[in-house]
Amino acid sequence: MKFKSLLLTGSALLSATAVSAGGYQVTLAGIKNNGMGGVGVGLSLDQAAMFYNPGALAMVRERGVHLGANATIARQAFRAENGSMQRELQNNTTTPFSLFASFGPQEGKFRAGIAVYTPFGNKLEYAQGWEGRFALTQIDLKAIYVQPTFSYAITDKLSVGAGLMYLALGSVNLQRDVPSQNAAGEFASIELDGKAERKFGFNAGVLFKPSEKLSLGISYRSKIDAQVKSGDVTFRNLSATAAPGFQATKFAATLPLPATTTIGIGVMPNEKLTIGLDVNFVEWSDYRNLTFEFNEPVNGSRTSSSIRNYEDALTFRLGGQYQLTSGLTVRAGGAYDNTPVKDGFVTPETPDSDRITGTLGASYKFGEKFSVDLSTQFVNLKKRTQTQNELLNNGTTDRVAGTFKTSVVVPGIGLNYSF
Amino acid sequence: MNTFLKKNWPAAALLGLAACQPDLEAPRADKGTADFSSYVAVGNSLTAGFQSGGLANFGIETSYPAILAQQFAKVGGGEFVVPTFGPEQRDGSGYLKFYGINTLGSPIILSPGQSVTTTVAGESAPRTITNNPADYKFAFTGQKLPSGTSELTPFNTTQPNNLGVPGISVLSADRTASAIPQIAGAAQAYGAINNYYQRLLPAADRGVTDYTTFIGRKNATFFTCWLGNNDVLTYATNGAVVEPTNPFSGLSDTTSFGRGYRNIVRTMSKTGTVQGVVANIPNVTNVPYFTAVTVPTIIAGIKANPNIPNAAAASLYIVTGTGTVREATATDLLILPASAVIGTPSAGSPLPVGIGYSATAANPLPSKFVLDAAEITAIQTRTNQLNAIIAKTARQYKLGLADMNGFFSSVALGGIAINATANNAGFIRGNLFSLDGVHPTSRGYALIANEFIRVINTTYGATIPQVNPNEYNALLLP
Repeated sequence: MKFKSLLLTGSALLSATAVSAGGYQVTLAGIKNNGMGGVGVGLSLDQAAMFYNPGALAMVRERGVHLGANATIARQAFRAENGSMQRELQNNTTTPFSLFASFGPQEGKFRAGIAVYTPFGNKLEYAQGWEGRFALTQIDLKAIYVQPTFSYAITDKLSVGAGLMYLALGSVNLQRDVPSQNAAGEFASIELDGKAERKFGFNAGVLFKPSEKLSLGISYRSKIDAQVKSGDVTFRNLSATAAPGFQATKFAATLPLPATTTIGIGVMPNEKLTIGLDVNFVEWSDYRNLTFEFNEPVNGSRTSSSIRNYEDALTFRLGGQYQLTSGLTVRAGGAYDNTPVKDGFVTPETPDSDRITGTLGASYKFGEKFSVDLSTQFVNLKKRTQTQNELLNNGTTDRVAGTFKTSVVVPGIGLNYSF
Repeated sequence: MNTFLKKNWPAAALLGLAACQPDLEAPRADKGTADFSSYVAVGNSLTAGFQSGGLANFGIETSYPAILAQQFAKVGGGEFVVPTFGPEQRDGSGYLKFYGINTLGSPIILSPGQSVTTTVAGESAPRTITNNPADYKFAFTGQKLPSGTSELTPFNTTQPNNLGVPGISVLSADRTASAIPQIAGAAQAYGAINNYYQRLLPAADRGVTDYTTFIGRKNATFFTCWLGNNDVLTYATNGAVVEPTNPFSGLSDTTSFGRGYRNIVRTMSKTGTVQGVVANIPNVTNVPYFTAVTVPTIIAGIKANPNIPNAAAASLYIVTGTGTVREATATDLLILPASAVIGTPSAGSPLPVGIGYSATAANPLPSKFVLDAAEITAIQTRTNQLNAIIAKTARQYKLGLADMNGFFSSVALGGIAINATANNAGFIRGNLFSLDGVHPTSRGYALIANEFIRVINTTYGATIPQVNPNEYNALLLP
């Protein structure tokens, strides 16, 4: 029942939630990879290599299209330090998607391709009246990259590749309540809505395959600062008395989409079994503050700055696939994700914690040209508590003290068509 | 395809399981060694839930004892009766209302029946604003007490659990406190003087039973006592001027206070056998009543006033407690009502030179509108002396001590953050103080309740959950 409804939501909004990697990073590009704990940098599975390691694309024999869609179903429990009840997210399922297409000569040494994917994103809608309402009531952050890619096999054993990442669509919508009550006792609220400037970045990678049984990869994805220069500010339920202090109509803000370096190993003991191991290093320490600048004052000030002080973070991934029959391949894997968010710095828009992920997946071939991939990730965020004392010590009292516990399920479906 | 679905059945089932809502166990709520089956609160206006210059149902229902009782109920606390007015009298004594900010930046605050002509910020022309008394559901009976104050409808169904009486001091609560017969007699007859006390008393007790005797009839298993504020506050809010008609308008002396306070606490604790928490007296000069109107702001306004001849040489002049006339300084504290008096015409000084303006010091601001440095020191010294008595009494009767003085000093110094909101001791926008500048808002009372809970948890090894103060109203802005 649930499974069916998930598949039906596949065509919904193009957005993603921060569920598959620390912070607001999303690593759900390839459905095959999703079934294997998210590994891929040391492998050359399919066209999704453009995301994981563009250097591996030239090693992917098939030319074709891979279309992937995921549904992220997040469930969260929150108890405030000063609060009486458990708060739960208003359920929302989001659907990060990806599209990869590659071209090139049958026996040639190069491959070209185009990739469209959502490497960052976040969507959360908190319960009505929850204790953190003055920090956040809802967020919807989207980033879609379009990436033309070129990969070249220098030898049979070594290939390189690079992509030009284009931040084609970036948008943010943040809403929170303002602690000012009107005559009816209702709190005012503020909504910030903006589109990011279009920007470029790049990724690059190398795949080295010393033997049929071993491959090594390294890839790098550059940082892009998503910059909103003139977003809209909207206030609701403001009293006439408070209104003069809340005159802003426009805001500017910058959110780093950090650089990521990954090394990966692939081991192929026999023709049917493939095992991959990846370690990601994400330079989250670029995220120091989230600062909004307003054209007119908000509560008496033209800027509002909130401390983030993220730390660089590592993710360890392990996964494998086994070809059961000529048509069916099954996959399994896991990942351990260190949170970039320090104790006492957890914000409601990224209620992050160390994550343990288990994954399952399968592919089935319908003839030579068409195959279907399925994957499911079970993401478990460790229970995380921060106290008001920690917030006071860190100067982070703009967020809420309490305990978060989140778990996420991400079913995905991929369609492959080879030319 | 069929086999494919079959093979993935286990995955689908797993998916259903893992998509389940995570649950966080509710924190353990435990009463520790305390017994809340019969909780009784004694105290003054702060205990009664007085807000914005009046006592009404909305304040009584969010008084800190009512909030405490609601939390105690989670650890086996018993019924807690609050002395509300009937639904058709829910506005009780009436209270101040807020009509916005005028073009000068001053809040427009009117008592029932009061009217003012002013230009509201954002409007172009002045208009007359009236706080229509017909909008209130008062609880007045139409009778007067012997003291002349208006009688309120009695709450006589039963003796309530919240026994807070606005205006009461230790000196007026206990007939054994003062050795001066007139003062002791007034304490005994307090039910004929104070309409809030009178409404709680059975008819036979009015004018003959003092507060200590009255509260002693209650069999508490746990009590809170927050008394003593009015032993300094009544004097301070009157600009350190004693009103000859009010025997309780001075600074209470330490001997009388100690005698009265110990008697009250001995009575409630049944000589140390009943558990409870007593709270001490916050530094009264930290409240907006004394900090909202500042001397530098007033003087800057005078010097910039084009209607005053030779304004640059003009300033604000006050009468000190010793009768000296001098220019006001930044260390003098003006009381909230002073803003409505400064610059108004008086008999000897018609406009443009109003009260307090005169460069020749001919028409100074009367002493009752200002606390000068010597008066502030005297009030703070006495507050500290009384707090020492409170602390010693708490130890003597094995009670917890809620250091409200320390708590409010810290709020006044650096504000207090609650669940992503910033709150401070400022007037109107600080969220914690109501329109009278002395009494908290419901949110302020919720913070006080949390501070009591913290002390109770520490003292009695309990784990009573605190409330979210943001769920209680701060000032509602028109």
